[in-house]
Amino acid sequence: MTENSLDKEQQIVNHLVGTFQNLTGKVKRNRRIEVSIEKKQITSVLNYVKDHLGFIHFSHMSCVDWLEDGYFELVYILWSPEQKIQLLVKALVDRENASVENADMIWRQLNTYQREIREMFGVNFIGMKGDKEFILEDWDNMPPMRRDFNTVDYIQEVYFERPGREDAQNVRETISKRTGEEIPEVATKYSRD
Amino acid sequence: MPNDKNSQKIVDIIKNAARKHSLFVLAYGTGCGAIEIPPTMTSRYDAERFGIRGMATPRQADVLLVTGYLATKTLKRVIRAYEQMQDPKYVIGFGSCTINGGMYWDSYNTIKLLDKYIPVDVYINGCMPRPEAVITGFIELQKLIAEGKADGATKYKENLDWYRANQKKVIKNWNMPDYNW
Ligand code: SF4
Repeated sequence: MTENSLDKEQQIVNHLVGTFQNLTGKVKRNRRIEVSIEKKQITSVLNYVKDHLGFIHFSHMSCVDWLEDGYFELVYILWSPEQKIQLLVKALVDRENASVENADMIWRQLNTYQREIREMFGVNFIGMKGDKEFILEDWDNMPPMRRDFNTVDYIQEVYFERPGREDAQNVRETISKRTGEEIPEVATKYSRD
Repeated sequence: MPNDKNSQKIVDIIKNAARKHSLFVLAYGTGCGAIEIPPTMTSRYDAERFGIRGMATPRQADVLLVTGYLATKTLKRVIRAYEQMQDPKYVIGFGSCTINGGMYWDSYNTIKLLDKYIPVDVYINGCMPRPEAVITGFIELQKLIAEGKADGATKYKENLDWYRANQKKVIKNWNMPDYNW
């Protein structure tokens, strides 16, 4: 097989498109496939690729906030050690009252990722065990990784700020005048202003 | 305690000299800065020359070294460890994160000014400070101790209400025991 042949990847995509309704997929590049599915298909697609296509390794799960479109996109990243192919399974979830079916019976470690996403984005995983908070403690605000959470406003309200740095000025020169230190050329060359 | 000539009593001078040469540091690391502690303590920089060494529990330690950013969750543990330490006790803030937030200044979950929550005797700046800087900071602390000026713990007791109010502002579920030193 030559380096650039994408036959193996294309075969898998064709297979998946033939097996599931409403599934779209494409080969991103050598050894990387991406498929988009509906939210209700998540468990069945994950189960299928694990049992039949050799994607037995779960690498990562993440969540993308498409604020303007009103969606969260859940991304499950799987790996097939035999074929050395990475599979990205993506599903869109409504931003309002986002909820998805729990999938941690397929890979136990999914539980950890789901709990993190529940906390950071507020996606509810129906039927997931573990009600306790995961990383944040006593958090009573909007989930902080949502894009409409205004971090700067929040920190200004909650935390103190050291006075004197509001204008973000380069004070190197003033200090060097006071101490008689010479500023090396590289420092001025790469300075912000 | 200064005497009537506003200098230290002889007994204090002796006491402080003993204290400054046996600084036991609580082996507790937060943030990335903790990675500079092993080289500081081991043979290359050998902080034990100055009487600085690690100690396992808060009650046995003299110095609390806060080595970097503190999430509010960690802050709670740090306060608890600090309050369990016996007098005399000192705090060293280590790295720009403890001074002004450093590169986590806009994080939703890390505090920026350590000295609003616990009294800091010495700050060491740098992100992260090299072992030389760490040792310089410790020597600075030793100087303060010798002069009897490292009185963070007294300040804490006197202004406990102010510190508590600040602490409770970020730690919403305050379920910690009260220590009566
Ligand atoms: S000051 Fe720098 S090295 Fe230290 S905790 Fe902050 S980011 Fe890490």
